[in-house]
Order: sequence, then C-alpha cells, then structure tokens
Amino acid sequence: MPEREVQPQASLTIRLQVNGEEREGAVEGRTTLADFLRDQLGLTGTHLGCEHGVCGACTVLLDSQPARSCLVLAASADGSRVETVEGLAENGQLSRLQQAMWDSHSFQCGFCTPGFLIQAAALLAENPSPTEAEVRHALSGNLCRCTGYESIVRGVMAAAGGPEPAGAEPR
Amino acid sequence: MKARVPAERYTGASVRRVEDERLLTGRGSFVADAQLPGMLHAAFCRSPLPHARILAVNTEAARLAPGVVAVFDGAQMAQMASPVADPGDSPRSGGPVSFGILAVDKARLVGDPVALVVAQSRALAEDACELIQVEYQELAPVVTVEQALDPSLPVIFEELGGNRLFGPETKVFGDVDGAFARADRVVRASIRQHRHQNVPMEGRAILANFDAGSGQLLVRAATQGVNTTRQTLAEQLRMPLDRVRVVAEDVGGSFGLKFGASREEVACCAASRELGRPVRWIEDRWENLTVSGQAREESFEVEAAVTSAGRILALKVEMVIDSGAYPGFAPLVVDIVREMIPGPYRLEALSFTGSGVVTNKASYVAYRGPWAAETFVRERMIDLVAQELGISAPEVRLRNLAVRDEPPLRMVTGPSLAGITARESLLRAVEILDLTGFREEQLRLREEGRYLGIGFATYIEPAPGPRQEGGEENTEQVRVELDQDGSLLVHTAQMPHGQGHRTTLAQVAADEFGVRLEQVQVMVGDTQRTPTGFGTGGSRFAAMAGGAALHGARRLRGKVLEAAAQILDLAPAELDISGGELVGPGVPGGRLPLAELIGRIDLAARSGQLPPGTDADLTATADFDGGESGWSGGTHCCVVEVDAATGLVRILRYLVVEDCGDMINPAVVDGQIRGGVAQGVGAVLLERSAYDPEGQYLSATLMDYLLPTALDVPHIEIEHLSPVRLDPDVNFRGVGEGGMIAAPPTICNAIADALSPFGPRVLEQHLPPTRILELIGALPD
Repeated sequence: MPEREVQPQASLTIRLQVNGEEREGAVEGRTTLADFLRDQLGLTGTHLGCEHGVCGACTVLLDSQPARSCLVLAASADGSRVETVEGLAENGQLSRLQQAMWDSHSFQCGFCTPGFLIQAAALLAENPSPTEAEVRHALSGNLCRCTGYESIVRGVMAAAGGPEPAGAEPR
Repeated sequence: MKARVPAERYTGASVRRVEDERLLTGRGSFVADAQLPGMLHAAFCRSPLPHARILAVNTEAARLAPGVVAVFDGAQMAQMASPVADPGDSPRSGGPVSFGILAVDKARLVGDPVALVVAQSRALAEDACELIQVEYQELAPVVTVEQALDPSLPVIFEELGGNRLFGPETKVFGDVDGAFARADRVVRASIRQHRHQNVPMEGRAILANFDAGSGQLLVRAATQGVNTTRQTLAEQLRMPLDRVRVVAEDVGGSFGLKFGASREEVACCAASRELGRPVRWIEDRWENLTVSGQAREESFEVEAAVTSAGRILALKVEMVIDSGAYPGFAPLVVDIVREMIPGPYRLEALSFTGSGVVTNKASYVAYRGPWAAETFVRERMIDLVAQELGISAPEVRLRNLAVRDEPPLRMVTGPSLAGITARESLLRAVEILDLTGFREEQLRLREEGRYLGIGFATYIEPAPGPRQEGGEENTEQVRVELDQDGSLLVHTAQMPHGQGHRTTLAQVAADEFGVRLEQVQVMVGDTQRTPTGFGTGGSRFAAMAGGAALHGARRLRGKVLEAAAQILDLAPAELDISGGELVGPGVPGGRLPLAELIGRIDLAARSGQLPPGTDADLTATADFDGGESGWSGGTHCCVVEVDAATGLVRILRYLVVEDCGDMINPAVVDGQIRGGVAQGVGAVLLERSAYDPEGQYLSATLMDYLLPTALDVPHIEIEHLSPVRLDPDVNFRGVGEGGMIAAPPTICNAIADALSPFGPRVLEQHLPPTRILELIGALPD
C-alpha cells in the first residue's frame, strides 16, 4: 500500500528552556507539551496517565508553576521555562525529595511518580515546612492507584524535615 | 544441606527498593517510552453502540487519509488471526462461544473494536478512525442480569441460544437440610456488589515488531507474565511458540488486568506481521475505562441457618455473575467464591448455586482478589445476623471462627485451615479499638446528632493456599546462576508491576546464598530466559517464588561449596559463602572472592581437574509449590462518621491486624496492604462503572470514574501478628489481595453501624452520599 507523506497542516518553531537547557523544535498546532517533551526531546520521564488533566502524571513545572503538560499546547509554551522529573537530580545526585521518597518506599509501579515528585517539589519550594494536611491537600490532584498515598505523604514530610506525620512508624 | 543463618539478614528488613532510583529520576522504561525505527501507531475504530449488527464497514476514506499505512476491518483481521475460541473456562451451558479479534458481524459493547488503523502517528491514526463509515443495525441492548434472562430480548451470542452463559449449577457440602432443620431462625438477604474496575495508571500497551527475515515476532508488552502473553499470541496468530518472544520492562500497575494478550494487542501483532513494521498501541484512558475490562458485578441470595446463641450453622447461596460482553474469567470466579465462602468459620454445611450471564457491557476481568465477594457477602451477612439476634458483631464472629486446635480445622468445602490466625486477629483488633469505650462514645455523640459506626471483617486469603489433596501440581520455578563476576542472577517468571519483586526476591536469594544484596540481579520479563510459570498474580510471589528462590539458592550454594572443596582439597563443611566470598579456616588467606572462585572452578572443570561427578555448572533450578504455608489473613476494623445532612462518610480510623507469615520486606508488605485498602475505600465510597439504561457507558473519564485521592484515603494502622510456621523453610505468604478483599465489607459494616438509628439494611457495596441519603430516608429510594 503506498504510504502518503504527511504534510503537517501548520508547523511552527518553538524555543523553550527545558531543565536549564535551551531547546528548539517544530510542532504542529495540536502538539501538546507532553508529546513534545516525550517524542521530540526524548524526555519520557513525564508520563501520560489520562490525557484529560485529571491524573497528574504529566505534571511539569512551567515557569515554576505546576502544570498538566497534557493540557498545554507546545506552541503556547514557547519561550517558557520547563522543568521535568529528569531535572530534579543534580550531577547524578538524587535531590533531597527524591532521596526521601526512596527511603520512605513512597512508590510502587512508578507510573504516577514523576507527577508527584514535581507537584511535591513545587509545594516544598513554596512552603518548606508543610503540615501533613497541607501535603495531602497539595497532592490531592495527583492520582496513585498503588500505594494509598500514605508512603508518598511520609516521603514529602521526610524531605521537608518537618515532624513525622501521625501515622509514621520509625523503621 | 541445612539453611544458613547469616548474622545480618536482608530478609525481614525494609531495605530500599532497587527499582526506585530509576523510577525516581524519570528513567523508567514503560512501553510508551519505547521507540523503534519505522514504528507505526495503532488506533481502533470502536462501536458507539452497545449491541448492533455490523452490516458494512467502509474504510476507503480512512485508507486515503494522511499518514495512514493500513486499515484492517474485522473480516480482514479474521484472516490474520484466529478468533478467540472457548475463552477461559468453557461455558457450561449452550455451545462454546467464539468471537473475532475485531468485531465481525456484531458489536457487543460500546467500544467494541471494529477496525484497526495503522498510521505514522497516533493522532493521524485517530483522525483516520473518524473517516471509517460503519453501517449498524441497532439491537436492543442487554444491560442488566434481569434483561439477560428475559427471553424476549436479543441474544448476544447466537451459539449460546440465550444470554445465560453457564449454570445454574448447585453444589452441596455437608447436611444442609439437617442444619436448617436445627436452626432457631433463618436470616435472609439479597446482597450485591457493583461493577468497578482496575484502572492502573498505565493502561494496556504493546509494541509489536515482526521481523520478516527471521520470521520472529518480538513483542514489548505491559503484562503480568510474559509466558502467558506469548502463549496467547502464538495461539491467536497461529505461530510456533519459538517464533514469538515477549519482553517486558516497567509495567505501570495492573491489579489483574494485564494477563495474556487482549484482542487489541493481538490485532497489533497481526498488523505488524502483515506490514513487516513495528506497530505500537498505547491504550488511552477512555479505552481503558470503557473496554479494557470491569469486575465485581455479582448478586447473591443468601439464607443463613442460625441458632439463638449466634452460631451460623449453614448457608444457602445463589450467586449470579454478570460476565459482560465477552466470556472469559467469570466462571472461575464463581468456582473460587463457592470454595472460599466459608472463610475461617466453622460452617457445617453449604449449598451454593452459581450461574453467569452475558450482557452488553465491558467484559469481566480479574481485579485484585477476584473472588472477594465471598468475604463481602459473608461478613455483611454476619453483621445482619448479629443485628437480628441482638448480639455484637465481633461476638458473632468469635462464636463461629475456627479454633486452631479444635478439629476439623477445615472448611466445609474442603481446604485445610491449618495455621490460620483469624481468631487472634479479631481479638487483637477489638482490643486495640477499645470496643466498649467506642460504644459509649457512639451513644453519647448520637445525642448530638453525630453518627459514628464501627465495622469489622475477618478474612483469609489463599496465598497460595494449602496443598490440595489430589489437586494439580502448581509450582513456581526459579533458576539461579552465578555470573562470571560473582553476581547471582535469579530468574523468575514473576513479572513485577509495582510489587518490588526485583528487591524482595534478591533479599531472599542473597541471604540464602551468602552474597550482598547488590550482587543479586533478579531477571524478569523475557521469554528467551524466563523460566516456566504464568506470572505475578494470585498472591503467588512470596511463598511460591520466594520459596523457589530460597531452594534454588541453597542448591546452587551446595554445588559451589562442593566444587570449591574439591579445588581446595577441603571438606564442604569447612567452607561457607558469606558477603560474596568463600570463607573458611582452610581457605588461603581466609577468604576468596566469588568471581575468583568461579574462574578457578571453570578452569578446573575445563582442564579435567575435577573428579568425575562434580557438577561445575553453576546454575540451579528449583520448583516450589508454596510448601506448608497456606493462608494469609486477618481482621480489618474501621470507624466512620456519617454526615446525615450530606451523606458524606469520613473514615476516622482504619486498622489492619494481619498475618502474612514471615515478611520479606515489611515496607513492601505495608505498601501492598495500604494500596489494597485504598482500592476498597474507592469501591465503597467513589468508584462505579456506570451504564445508562441504553447500555451507554457513563464513567469513561477520570472525572466520572472517581479514584480515591490523598484526601480520601486515611492513615491505615497496621499490626502484624506472629505467624504459625508450618514449613521447615518457607513461611512467607502472599499479601497482595487481602487489603482489597477485606476493606469493602469493613467499611460497609461501619457505615451500616453508623446508620443503625435510621434502621436500613445495607445490602450493597457502593455507598456514595446519594445512596446514604436514600438509605436514611432523606432522599426517595
């Protein structure tokens, strides 16, 4: 069967800073930021769990604010600063948050992980010593089907260095 | 060879997971992350109608759409792959059912795949799906069990002659009539579970890559077991097994959904073979919620023969399961519910009638603790009995629970109850919760118009269950080998998708063999090297795979010590392996790194310096059936407050007292328990796979199908009981399903207790605010 070449209806070039690096790419009008990050930049750490903005797995920082990259058009992110899960560790060293999540057995299958990490990083940047209730509230727009959330909340609290949440059991 | 007991053991410690560093840094590898040169993308044109004849499928415009490489309709697909024939356990009435990989003459549910488009991108494939014209002749939808049994409605499968899939089939255990004759009263209830579903965060996914040169199909799958996926694909594609290789890496949750290969996954493999190019399909959330599969829709008519003293002598149960559109798993569920319904209780007799129907809804799939209805029905029924007799619900449980040193320690349906600690778990839960104190507070708060309730549920979970006399041999295989660098490779058919098997199996093997944890690599997910076994599911991991790893490592250790003794001219008993080194007083320098030892064994073997009969092949295989370990189990307890104005339920306290044997990694165990309870919270308070009367699916987004969030799941207290150790070596037990088995009845019992001043009988599992307001009479029922 002959394969017809695809002529994108309209292609535009975007430039943005991703994890501190200047990146450039050609996108269609309908290309989402998530697809651009994953397919064109190879940053597959950002996951797509629902593509309708509910599950939060695709959360990235867009100009320092958490955003659902499945609902953001790549074209509209032109000129922005984007931070993804790949940018959390520095020089191969896990961030304090990542380390605390690891120590706390926070995650299981790992699919929701990037969204929780980004959302939690945004919380801690704004509020370095959140209460457990504040952590739960901040994470309530991210879905995890494996853990029941307690281990995730505990990880964020440990990263904040605040008091252990009510349910914490020292190990 | 005796077990070695190292001073510091990994087993039993909450060591950090080896999986996590990768996942925390965005370097996991899920199917959607994989790219291959020339890769194409699949999308399915799906039926918008629940029940319709397909009169014509016109794919002409789609074929000509930009970026489209191929379009396959049901008739074409039927040439490329065998129909699914006689799926699951054979239906027991009517003829055997078969159906196409794509729908051919008939669509049987909303979302039924009618055509497959393969294009240069997913977006282009979806665009082309819009251009496919399907001419449907609508048929009356069969949406409920009542409709399925209505002979005036159309049949979904002509070969069944009706919409009853199997049964009714009755099995009787013990003297049911005698027990009912002796009873002081009979308590009756119609109890139902609602339809809900797995919803892993990663949906189904496949990347099929057929290599025309070698004739091999290489598949990247999101699966719970690569062997079963390979088996299904080879059968459906009519390929020799050795031409199909299935590989899996990270899998984003499953909870029972991702076994074998679904119709869509088979279709993508068939398309890859036809086109000679890689084809990837990543299920989107609409597809996942609408057609991947649903579970739990079951209804029960129950009669309990009880004495005034609160003894439950016998049950008569009639179960009907709604199998949805395409038969598969439902008959097996009925079998397990029948066997398990006595649970840890001293039931003398049981009459159980099971039947199943097909409807125009998503097909029934396994979902965490697939047989959980047995616990829901029994534990709800016990509370209803307690209510009628005016005895407290925990007290009724205590009067009926099996006592470990009193024969017959056996379910009336057959299985032995050896080693259970159900009774201890209930006593401990009552003690922790201070039931007397709670009742006082409950009464006091009622005066203020606050409605608190407490609920208990006691369960056992086959993990893997006791050895069945005359049962089929059911084992897990693990192959252990030493790599040249001294690392220990542990091959298993288990396929972790969140459970942390790469860590926990390494803990067991490292302790038994005598290496450091980082020297062990658990090898999963590649049919070219994966040993036999169907994969992760049925709580098989801890006892069966854990036991096989222990015995495999022990066997290999014996071989290595034997060969080392020959080389060093020492007795094996003078040698040990510890910390990744051969140690012993006679060892030159006191210690020899394993890598060096392996080199010397290899050299000695090749130069004929080992005496005949010495086994220098540094691999060992062990098969293990779980040994004498059998049941996990325990008691859950929940305290709720129901707001009588809004119908909202707040969980004030949630306690799990449980026994899963010796824990390999307590943090992993607790994660499994909490995750299961969270799904139970969702099942009762939020989740429902809802259809309208026309068979349209109403819960097709995550704004309609509500998963619990961090605000909905409470802190879950967990206490682990000391297990009864029946096996000389392996007393780990599976723990994956208990949380989801016990949480729904626990929460429902608590809500029913809170609502008791209003007097409703709670006979269902889904209790969202609107339903609670109906139950207390604030809204019309």
